[in-house]
Amino acid sequence: MMSGPLEGIRVADFTWVGAGPFLTKPLADHGADVVKIESRTRLDPIRSARPFMDGVPGLNRSGYFSNRNSSKRSMCIDLKTPTGREVALKLIAQSDVVANNFTPGTMDRLGIGYEDARAVRPDIIYLEMPMQGVDGPYRDHRGYGLTIGAMAGFLGLAGWPDRPPTGTGTNYPDHVPNPLQAATAVLAALRHRRRTGLGSYIEVSQLESTINVLSEALVAHQLGEPGARRQGNVDRHLVPHGVFPCKGTDRWCAIAVETDGQWRELVRLLDAKALDDEFFSTAAGRRDNADLLDEKLARCTRGWDARTLADVLTGGGVAAAVVNDARDLVETDPQLAARQHWVSLEHPEMGASIYDAPPYRLSRTPGSLRSPAPLLGEHTREVCVELLGMPPDEYERLVDEGVLG
Amino acid sequence: MSEGPWSRFTGTKLRFELTKVERFIMSLGSAALVSTEGKPLGDVTVLDLSSRGRRYCGRLMAHLGATVVLPTGSSDDDRVSTLMASGEAVVPTRLDESTRAELLADVDVLITDAGPAALWSRGLHPSQLGGFPRLVHVSISPFGLTGPWADRPSTDLTLLAAGGLLALCGDADRPPVRPYGEQSAVAACVHAATATMIALLARDDDGVGQLVDVSVQEAVAHSIENAAQYYDCEGVVRQRRGAASAEAGSGLFECGDGYVYLLTSIGGVLLGWDRLVRWLVEDGVAGADRFEESQWSDPVFRMSEEAISTFVEIFGRYAKTRSKLDLYIRGQAEGVSIAPVSEPADLLANEQLSARSYFRAAHVDDGEILVPGSPFRIAVAAATGAEEAR
Repeated sequence: MMSGPLEGIRVADFTWVGAGPFLTKPLADHGADVVKIESRTRLDPIRSARPFMDGVPGLNRSGYFSNRNSSKRSMCIDLKTPTGREVALKLIAQSDVVANNFTPGTMDRLGIGYEDARAVRPDIIYLEMPMQGVDGPYRDHRGYGLTIGAMAGFLGLAGWPDRPPTGTGTNYPDHVPNPLQAATAVLAALRHRRRTGLGSYIEVSQLESTINVLSEALVAHQLGEPGARRQGNVDRHLVPHGVFPCKGTDRWCAIAVETDGQWRELVRLLDAKALDDEFFSTAAGRRDNADLLDEKLARCTRGWDARTLADVLTGGGVAAAVVNDARDLVETDPQLAARQHWVSLEHPEMGASIYDAPPYRLSRTPGSLRSPAPLLGEHTREVCVELLGMPPDEYERLVDEGVLG
Repeated sequence: MSEGPWSRFTGTKLRFELTKVERFIMSLGSAALVSTEGKPLGDVTVLDLSSRGRRYCGRLMAHLGATVVLPTGSSDDDRVSTLMASGEAVVPTRLDESTRAELLADVDVLITDAGPAALWSRGLHPSQLGGFPRLVHVSISPFGLTGPWADRPSTDLTLLAAGGLLALCGDADRPPVRPYGEQSAVAACVHAATATMIALLARDDDGVGQLVDVSVQEAVAHSIENAAQYYDCEGVVRQRRGAASAEAGSGLFECGDGYVYLLTSIGGVLLGWDRLVRWLVEDGVAGADRFEESQWSDPVFRMSEEAISTFVEIFGRYAKTRSKLDLYIRGQAEGVSIAPVSEPADLLANEQLSARSYFRAAHVDDGEILVPGSPFRIAVAAATGAEEAR
């Protein structure tokens, strides 16, 4: 039985922390053999990052790490030793893709840079995703998702105009633009290789990749059009457009009205006489009196259960949604449940724990989460002996020497 | 721009100058590379019937060399959204019913962005497209094509809410506030692009297309970092807290001309704290010597209100006396992960982006503006010396 549409593709995965592992996850979840190369002396930081299952710290207990590393294998190599480098090159020779997100030059210094990889695998697809690219005056600068988001303009554009920027409160570039644009490029290069026999070198500057998803702000800024600044929840076309309080502590419903007809329906459904005002009957009137409208609408929504309100408004054709927190997403959201978005996998140390399924379904060749995140070095022996053909006694010797583990 | 059946559909198009990929190839220092940026999908055509922000999937395909056919004349087809949609080879096309059927018979990928009922009414529901067995139909719909909410009305804001990202955005004392730029669509489109490539690879094996059913809500839920796992593992529901410090040594700081963002730890794991302390002590920042005490390496102490407020007071006072660029350059020289909070004008003047020829010129009306180039740079390795010479 096929494990997925990418069965037969092998990835030597040197990525770590946030963005890289989310690049190789969709490949692994669609059947690629992703071998995550790790170090016991320089651990992937998110193995040590909260949350930990049951709150108990441990290198194999982080939910942050596990969700990004489903369906992968883990092997530990000391890449700073000559033998470790040799093992890595043997793995590369049997791989289709090499991926890393180190600072520029790191892989070259380890002797496993692009030219080293091409020497053992001429048609290799080799991806690097340094923060700001492999050249230029800032090439050596350090960063993580939050700082990349700041530098790319993502942080500064989100928030209230009278307050400091807020962003998403997450390392957003690590979760959305950078891993998935890189994955798209890798897959395109794989397809190109199938058609031509030629490998590729791919460079994803994480800064550039993040700016790409903010293109509209750059264009609007240069055309002198409004919008390239923090503006709360204000929308150019929709009014009201905001997040309104509901019954309970910190419960909210997002509401967006596009047409006058939707507005009339909202007023009817809420039975809100305070909103049945001539000022608000047209989009222009609602926009001119937006602050007053928001205030009055908030008074109307405060007594509603957020989910009931969203159900009632959407039933009338008005866009609305409860502001789901993580508990809602996991426990009560009927749509995510129907789509089977959360997948529970039995992990040897964490027990049953949840993972994101791919947010898409391929009708003919679907992916699946084949295994939980690997334990640190769980597959070192398997990869060395079964895949690379290393004699078992040599493997044991290299373990004793600290080269493998 | 590829020739062939598409040329007769060609309408008015935006003109772009080529990116300077040659310089990039040279920088690799390898003679065995030829530039084929934009070519991996040179044989692929995409009919993109999606709207506004959801055209980003087609744009990524265009960056990879696909020819993307876009209908023109729709009400949302303003200058900004057209530029958002534009990649290397975009063919705006006037599309009537017969043209569409003709196109569907020939294109490799169809992108739609409506729920099942709306697709059905337009004759684009997957069950109505059985006559196009080679077609990869990428359906980017608000909630996916199945489930009780599949036809619910929605917008970017409500999908960010339904997917859980909005709950993490904003200050604790105000309502949640959305990120810039239809990020629900961006999240869905970058996943959709990945899935499109998987479907094209599968089609290469046997010539059969398929449906790629992308849910925007699920794509947003996929973007909430570790929030679902925090709840699953520790029973903790993550809350929004703006860009305020959650731990000493990280967070947003006001400086002389804006803000900087500083990061020296993730989830309690130190990432460059020692280098930050060295920088501040070397520069004689008042009070910075306190950071040399051992307690500052303890994650529990660093997350305490006492530690956070002490750090904010000492570093915040220093930051206000410097520009964001000064702080950025100085901090990075010490190996500290610090960044200016850029505004659009800062990016257009950014020395690094300029050195790498990231932006390219686009001509709009009679003027010229800069637009982002490709998010990835691909150089295909040449097989032989003869090919290099070409």
